[in-house]
Amino acid sequence: MKTVLEARQVSKIFGGLVAVNKVDLVVPEGAIASIIGPNGAGKTTLFNCISGFYTPELGDVLFNGRKIQGMLTDKVAAMGIARTYQNIRLFKNMSAVENVMVGFEPHLKHGWMKAMLKTPDYQKEQKHIINEASRLLHYVGLAGLGDNLALNLPYGAQRRLEIARALANQPKLLLLDEPTAGMNPQETDAMKDFIRHIRDDLEITIILIEHDMRVVMNISDQISVLDYGQKIAEGNPKEIQANPRVIEAYLGPGAAALSEKYRREKTHDA
Amino acid sequence: MNKQSIQKSAASGLVFGIIVIFFALIGFTVVFSGLIQKALGQSLGVGQIPSISSFLIFLGLLGIWNGWRASRQDKHETLSVKKVLGRSAIAGLVAGVLVMVYALIVGALNNSGINLRTYLSQLSSESVRFFLFNQTIVVGGLIHVFYSTLMAVIGGFLAVASERSRERVKSTRESIQKWSQDRWLGKLQGNPYVSYVLMGVVLLLLVLLPRTWGAYWNYVMGTVGIYVLLGLGLNIIVGLSGQLVLGYVAFFAIGAYTFALTTSPEPHNLVWNFWIALGVAVLAAALSGILIGLPIMRLRGDYLAIVTLGFGEIIRILLRSDILKDFTMGPRGVRNIAGPTLFGRSFTTDVDFMYLIILAVLLSIFLARRWQESSIGRAWLAISQDETVAQATGVDTQKYKLLALSLGAAFAGLGGALFASRNQFTGPEDHALMVSINVLVLVIVGGMGSIPGVVLGAFALKGLPEILRELESYRLLVFGALLVVMMIIRPEGLWPARRPKLEVPVEQDHEPVPLPATAGGEK
Amino acid sequence: MEALRKKFSLTLPQNSIRIIRIIAALLLLALIIVRAMDVAAKSQFGADTWLRLSVSGLIIGGMYALIAIGYTLVYGILFMINFAHGEVMMIGTFGGYFVFEAFNAIQVSGADGSQLSFLNAYPVIAILLAFLAGMTIAALSGLFLEKIAYRPLRGAPRLVPLISAIGASIFLQNAGQLLFGPQRRQYINPVVLDRGIGWNLEVAGSTVVLTYTGIFSLILSAILMVGLYLLVQRTKLGRAMRAVAQDKKTAALMGINVDQIISRTFVISGALAGAAGVMWGIHNGLFNYFVGFLPGIKAFTAAVLGGIGNIPGAMLGGMFLGIVESVGPAVLGIDFQLKDVLAFTILILVLIFRPSGILGEALTEEKV
Repeated sequence: MKTVLEARQVSKIFGGLVAVNKVDLVVPEGAIASIIGPNGAGKTTLFNCISGFYTPELGDVLFNGRKIQGMLTDKVAAMGIARTYQNIRLFKNMSAVENVMVGFEPHLKHGWMKAMLKTPDYQKEQKHIINEASRLLHYVGLAGLGDNLALNLPYGAQRRLEIARALANQPKLLLLDEPTAGMNPQETDAMKDFIRHIRDDLEITIILIEHDMRVVMNISDQISVLDYGQKIAEGNPKEIQANPRVIEAYLGPGAAALSEKYRREKTHDA
Repeated sequence: MNKQSIQKSAASGLVFGIIVIFFALIGFTVVFSGLIQKALGQSLGVGQIPSISSFLIFLGLLGIWNGWRASRQDKHETLSVKKVLGRSAIAGLVAGVLVMVYALIVGALNNSGINLRTYLSQLSSESVRFFLFNQTIVVGGLIHVFYSTLMAVIGGFLAVASERSRERVKSTRESIQKWSQDRWLGKLQGNPYVSYVLMGVVLLLLVLLPRTWGAYWNYVMGTVGIYVLLGLGLNIIVGLSGQLVLGYVAFFAIGAYTFALTTSPEPHNLVWNFWIALGVAVLAAALSGILIGLPIMRLRGDYLAIVTLGFGEIIRILLRSDILKDFTMGPRGVRNIAGPTLFGRSFTTDVDFMYLIILAVLLSIFLARRWQESSIGRAWLAISQDETVAQATGVDTQKYKLLALSLGAAFAGLGGALFASRNQFTGPEDHALMVSINVLVLVIVGGMGSIPGVVLGAFALKGLPEILRELESYRLLVFGALLVVMMIIRPEGLWPARRPKLEVPVEQDHEPVPLPATAGGEK
Repeated sequence: MEALRKKFSLTLPQNSIRIIRIIAALLLLALIIVRAMDVAAKSQFGADTWLRLSVSGLIIGGMYALIAIGYTLVYGILFMINFAHGEVMMIGTFGGYFVFEAFNAIQVSGADGSQLSFLNAYPVIAILLAFLAGMTIAALSGLFLEKIAYRPLRGAPRLVPLISAIGASIFLQNAGQLLFGPQRRQYINPVVLDRGIGWNLEVAGSTVVLTYTGIFSLILSAILMVGLYLLVQRTKLGRAMRAVAQDKKTAALMGINVDQIISRTFVISGALAGAAGVMWGIHNGLFNYFVGFLPGIKAFTAAVLGGIGNIPGAMLGGMFLGIVESVGPAVLGIDFQLKDVLAFTILILVLIFRPSGILGEALTEEKV
């Protein structure tokens, strides 16, 4: 299968702190890849290295075989990597539709002259992106809310608006940073199905940072576990669940043995 | 009355006492009383001290406000007469005693023959006596205490009365609104011709007024118009793209000097055609926007403010210095700048100029609206709200910020050229920091990102001071206070920008996405 | 060196801009050096002039440093430029002025029975009180400035408090003009601190006067800076201030009253600006309501130069800027009326070539 994103020995250092330490990551096309790990493990930092917010001190980030580290974020977005944020970051004082319309920016061909003269092709393009943005809002379940200011939308709607804005970039790779944070179980389930739909309908590869293990184990094709900036495990959900290092990272040293014992007792009971 | 309530009342009194003393120190008491006297239809000569009664009205208004504020400490409580009486009396008493202490000190110093004006420039002997109601210091001080308390209590009662009648006022207003909506307003709003008629009336006024209201008003309104141009430009830079530029005057100066140097016989003897020079001035300003913008693109808001302020000052100092004397005439400025000509005829009367400025303003509003409502405007807004995310969403922030700077600078260049041409002169002092501050204030007060706000702001900040000439020396003081107050209570401005309605209904061409239409979640 | 090269080769694509920038900076530096050598070759000025210029630069630099500390302290805690800080200094200047005026008006009999003004009879007390008054009133104005104009805006978008600060600056400046009039005033110094007199040094055949006011200012600003440094590094208040600067939320959780610490920061920076203001008056004599504007901007430049948020940086930056401003025009052979242009140019160059100052990483944290 074709590889969409490849990170080779990526390291990011803040002062004396190695936030991401020689991480390798290979994401095949059409996969839903999850990155998990305890708080402060470097997950978001890795995201920032991929989406161009940070330039890693060492290592390469390849998108469809092209090196992208060091590129400005708008160029990265134009190449086809879109992302959402852990703490929602919308353009708060713009309406929801406008938020999505900004997402079309990398694909617009207008200039200030054409906007000034309102040439027919400019008008056609504008009409097109208004239609597309409305359709995207409909797709994420926000039909009819488009003219509200982003800051007036409820929390769950803001999360989905962020995804709509990212989809407007027409990405090939979508980075979702804790898309279900702060949601109740029903909303989380809906979001989980929605993520799978994005992948299936739009054929977008997805990398996910997520804390909710039910989501992660349910939809991931591949899970990478970070701890203290290092990748300590990788594999499909089953492998990760059984990996003693992962359990140790989450629950502390000695936990793996305990959990093994617990499981044995449980099977014994059954 | 509990202790907290007493403290709050006393604090309110303290604040108002300080305000009254401050007004007295800056001479505002005299000037404003004079305005009141004029408003009442009595004449007042220049430099004359107004009547005591107008001063009492002025103090009374402040006192009533004091009592009103002190009595309404909590939005949710219902006011009783007893509560209000106590609170407003305390507030009035505190304010009055404070003012009395001030009056005693100043009065005593004045009586002892010290000329206070050498230290505090507004405290002439007459103004001190005026503050004491032309009484002796003790009597005057006591009058202050009594009057302040009395007025505060009245203010308190007014607060109660207004609260008790609030329901009735509200219902009356609603019924009037309903009536007018039913009878005529609703019909008018539905009628597409109304807006055409309104536009026609405005246009007619714009055509007729410059002919009828005389040279003085043409001058004043011309200045307002030029400030509308400047405001439109800075609105693009600050209001839309969110770059706080404090050196906007640099672009104004570049426009004015480019125009001046290409049309004046001195120092270069390039007497170009008015329109060509105008175009060149606009282009030069736009280009300078890019040149100044390029190196400072990466700076964040506050640094950008200081750096651009530095640019503005550098340009002014250079214009004033001897280095560029041969090129720009140094501190003397450039004279004999050309006026507009068309087909060999020259149009230099005040009426012609007013028309020219009106045309420029209309054109600029048209263009600014086009840009603001386009994808470019949206990109600018996105940058102003979250630059990092805008860039990560694919907006080429550098390009758009530069575009905003150069387009905004172009408006300033146009304004500068018209300004120089109208005055037939431009010198370094026309381009002081104050111009930048004025324009910034009008953009912010009007409402950042709002074009009607810019027009409103220009009228309020350039037109009103011309009408209230007495307050001219307080203009900047009020600007400063206004900026702070606006930021605290109404950061969106007087006429905030609204977002357009764009969403269009979608036919169900997608599979419905399995998402419950969540309304809730935590916010 | 090896590590450096490795780093560059790895991050070339984006950092071509950075390399261009470094080259431009080096070119600029070379240009300045060539120009300076050219001017030096003409030897227009003698050693005495250089000494005079550097000393006066140091003196002004000390005042810039005191004001710059105020910018840095406030920036470190609130991440905002206290635009009205120059006006706080102006208020301090007026405070000291009125004390001197009042003492000058009071007549006392001197030791030999002659009539003297209090100012000259007890100069030490007068000077102490002048500084006390100037610093107190400036500190109070800093306190109220924060309470009225900045505190209600905490948590607002960055531009909002900045605009409020600009408004406060305009307000204070014009209030000063309305209260005290636009005319320039003259500081009445005690005779011991007369502006004309000082130690005479013989340098290269001519006399250089080290004025007492200048030396006094320099020593006093040094003492105040050391005091501030000790306050920030050694006291409980200083520790609390540093904690709030690092992380307001955590500091609040540790039981620090954040609002109070911010207020005190404004008081301290106001007091330092007030002291600088009184010094300015004593040393330069003439002043009016506008006195705070240029020193304010230049002190900001100094703070940026040293890395805003960094206290020793602000001190060094202030001294450096004072000297550059004083010696720079002579070194570059340009007109002295352009010294303000020089200061602004330095500000712009620093921000272009090192836009985050020494703040560096804190900016990156904020970016995401």
